[in-house]
Amino acid sequence: MNREELYDIALNWFQQQNWKPFKFQKDTWKAFLQGKNGLLNAPTGSGKTYALWFPIVLNYIKQNPQYKTKHKKGLKAIWITPLRALSQEIRQSAERVTADLETQMTVGIRTGDTTTKERAGQKKQMPDLLITTPESLQLLLATKGYDKIFKDCSAIVVDEWHELLGTKRGVQMELALSRLKTVSKELRIWGISATIGNLEQARDVLLGPETQALQDSVMIRANIKKKITVKSIIPKKMETFPWRGHLGLHLLEDVVPIINNSKTTLLFTNTRSQCEIWFQKILEKHPEFAGDMAMHHGSINKDTRNWVENAIRNEELKAVVCTSSLDLGVDFAPVETVVQIGGPKGVARFLQRAGRSGHRPGEESVIHFLPTHAIELIEASALQKAVKQNAVEDRMPYLNCYDVLLQYLTTLAISDGFYPNEIYKEISQTFCYQTLTRDQWQWLLNFLVMGSQSLQTYDEYKKVEVEEDGKFKVTNRGVAMRHRFQIGTIVGDVNLTVRYQKGGYIGSIEEFFVSKLNRGDVFTFAGRNLEFIRIKDMQVHVRNSNKKTNKISSWSGSRMTLSAQMSKLLREELYSSSEDKKYQSVEIRSLAHIFERQRRESIVPYPNEFLIETFKTREGYHHIFYPFEGRFVHEAMGSLLGYRISLLSPITFSLAFNDYGFELLSDQEIDMQQVIDNDLFTAEYLLDDLQKSLNATEMARRKFRDIAIISGMVFTGYPNKGIKMKHLQSNSQLLFEVFRDYEPENLLFQQAFTETFQHQLEEGRLRLSLERIAQQEIVWKPCKKATPFAFPLITDRLSREKLSSEKLADRIKRMSALLMKK
Amino acid sequence: MHPSGVLFWKEKSMLLISDVHLGKISHFRKFGAAVPQAAIQKNFELMDVAVNFFQPEVLVFMGDLFHSSLNKEWQLFEAWASTITSDIILVAGNHDIISPLKYEKLGIRVVSEIQLDGFLLTHHPEEREGFFNFSGHIHPAVRLQGMGRQSLRLSCFFKSENQLILPAFGTFTGTYTLEPKANNEVFAVTQEEVFQVQMKETKRRRRY
Repeated sequence: MNREELYDIALNWFQQQNWKPFKFQKDTWKAFLQGKNGLLNAPTGSGKTYALWFPIVLNYIKQNPQYKTKHKKGLKAIWITPLRALSQEIRQSAERVTADLETQMTVGIRTGDTTTKERAGQKKQMPDLLITTPESLQLLLATKGYDKIFKDCSAIVVDEWHELLGTKRGVQMELALSRLKTVSKELRIWGISATIGNLEQARDVLLGPETQALQDSVMIRANIKKKITVKSIIPKKMETFPWRGHLGLHLLEDVVPIINNSKTTLLFTNTRSQCEIWFQKILEKHPEFAGDMAMHHGSINKDTRNWVENAIRNEELKAVVCTSSLDLGVDFAPVETVVQIGGPKGVARFLQRAGRSGHRPGEESVIHFLPTHAIELIEASALQKAVKQNAVEDRMPYLNCYDVLLQYLTTLAISDGFYPNEIYKEISQTFCYQTLTRDQWQWLLNFLVMGSQSLQTYDEYKKVEVEEDGKFKVTNRGVAMRHRFQIGTIVGDVNLTVRYQKGGYIGSIEEFFVSKLNRGDVFTFAGRNLEFIRIKDMQVHVRNSNKKTNKISSWSGSRMTLSAQMSKLLREELYSSSEDKKYQSVEIRSLAHIFERQRRESIVPYPNEFLIETFKTREGYHHIFYPFEGRFVHEAMGSLLGYRISLLSPITFSLAFNDYGFELLSDQEIDMQQVIDNDLFTAEYLLDDLQKSLNATEMARRKFRDIAIISGMVFTGYPNKGIKMKHLQSNSQLLFEVFRDYEPENLLFQQAFTETFQHQLEEGRLRLSLERIAQQEIVWKPCKKATPFAFPLITDRLSREKLSSEKLADRIKRMSALLMKK
Repeated sequence: MHPSGVLFWKEKSMLLISDVHLGKISHFRKFGAAVPQAAIQKNFELMDVAVNFFQPEVLVFMGDLFHSSLNKEWQLFEAWASTITSDIILVAGNHDIISPLKYEKLGIRVVSEIQLDGFLLTHHPEEREGFFNFSGHIHPAVRLQGMGRQSLRLSCFFKSENQLILPAFGTFTGTYTLEPKANNEVFAVTQEEVFQVQMKETKRRRRY
């Protein structure tokens, strides 16, 4: 069959549905059938799944002209999705194509939710089209004879590549692809990505820089323009609107008319606990919504989530309170309106959420922004601008992740074993490991085999062994089994499943929350009031309760930061507060009285000014700096400045950060004039000072925790069997200290620092902002009390960093242990 | 009390060391977790420092001397034990699963507790009529707070009316934070000194 005839099959199908293929879909079909790789830039709900399922099926038809009667078995294509929740949807569209075209192809899903029985069946006979996650793909590489499974695979599609790109799961994908390129000769690699700032780089990472695969590739852009309207919800009584907070419940009544006026509304919250609280509170105040409202977040059990998703599609729900779990994929046509509660911290994310409404082509997307505290209205105003300018962020890919590589090598060693030379050639073509030297490679191999760099007596280290012909292989079954449980790079707190005593799974919850509960305590989870009974075998047993409670399940999760683009817009909005009202946005105008108060007690900085405020409270001396550069940059700048100040005289700080500025809190007053005179904001010796300041704080430690788990140094336990493995579990904090004291040259230990620099602290941005500050005039305002700008910062009780240059003994003398009254 | 976390009983010339957890690092390495080996040697060096400093007649390990079953760190321990002139007694703890015969070959007595002049030495903290109890097992630590939201967590000796819990001696062991009550005295351990911790009453419940 030639290409024209194949196109006709596809075009006919579209005609039968009364659809017309978009240009990007036809372009993708063509490129795919020509054997090309590529990156497709298309938003969700634009028909991207058909852009790639079609050519995959057409390619099969081409190679098997008698496709209607004869079925050639074996895996033909893999579809990678970052979220398990999306796999059903993808399966449906795939099955529609395979069935309507009368092929006998089968479609299967393999994720963490797949039953053992189903998995065993797949092992015997793989489906033609497999939908899976990056982790499950790694697990396939950990099975014996995986090369045969993938031998005739013609395509791998990585969906939502932008979500994976800046993460270690993305690195996991790069590694899997590097192996598949060798194993499957006919493989085409395709990525699908929403719009991000660095699309070209996204393609490099997917296909490997300077590879043949990249040369044979195309970039296809869907160019579907969508009209997005952003409406800020502005509190009617600005005077009583709080200066801090992150829940936004004050504006609950303003949301009600929005819900009433639209068919279905999605309310996006930033955290799962916030989601639980909003759901609870809306029902409390408006019981009439009961039955018409649901909740959706990643820790709720799968069936409930599926039910919610279907109910949205069938227009059975008026409103759904959700988290980023509904960010991706799933096409929800009935959604008319989206409400974002609290700052989304990124333009791309905000656009993605806005895009969830008005899903039909040509329809307008409406998103309401609900600020949780006054200063967030500035962010709302900046968001408006960002949407207009379509200023989306970059996703920065990782470099030299030794931990993921060690995990991958162990994976290969437990299946068929590997020969180092062959694998080195493959991985050095990936983006992540393009600069990995032979020496570093040798270090990693030594680490796998000996657990160190030289063989020592009295050592019983056992993991990977080298066979006579030089093959690296794991022979110990215990090692292999533990490793299989460990595969996966998303590292969270220890999760416990929540169940009714009589059975029935409700969801999962982090250990740190459960550890605070006592028997008989009632807490809210998944929209229900539950009474805590006991923890047994990593399960939390509960029963329903009618008691009221204010304990709401919470998850620690990660905090997000403003992107460089957003920070710049934010500063511009702030500066506009000094301008004539004509040039101000509604949001800024509504904040007039706050700016006025800020001016009375301090100043609102002009573009050429850098503001420092100092004041004393019962807690100690507050020193507050306002670079307006986003949380991560402040984290770096705070540690840097704290470190430099601590060199002037022995002092101890507690550091707090938000998106607007950072605070150095101490029991001593800093001589601010000395800080200004000594030019402590200089970008000189930046790296050196930063490195030293990191030693003094906890940031690198936290990174190390993930690295230790991914690389297999810390074992997190078997699911449901946690307790039995206690003798192998160790605390990564402890491990960090042991490495710092005895093996600081360890590559994994060093990786903790590099990652903190590049991903946490955004060294590049820090340098730029220091240069910007160098141009500004520093204005130091000693204040009497906390200003409106300072308020959210000084009340931040979570996520504080510590830094000290004092002797431990001197500190202890001034401190005391709190006595518990009983 | 000594900054290394040991307790010396002058009148009896008796040195108490608790929760060394020898062999833990080797045990981890055996199961494929690459904890640095250099840390193994450190435990022995620290024990040497403490023993040389006090020159005790009796050395009592308050349990959890070895973390797990026999591994090659035992040979290092054998070599170390032969250099020690003091009598060695092990008060067996929950981790001590190596056969007492092995210890006896080295001239080490293994007992479940020691009663001496109104003092009771056990691994698990215990309250018994008429005795003051020395014990280990808990790996106690204390959280200190100060102005400017400062806080510190330090390994400590934890004393209540009839009991003193020793800190864990081993380098690769964790700690458990205890919250002191009115009748407790806490002695924090740093590298150079042991400090008695000041207590402050609070009505506020601790925030998490």
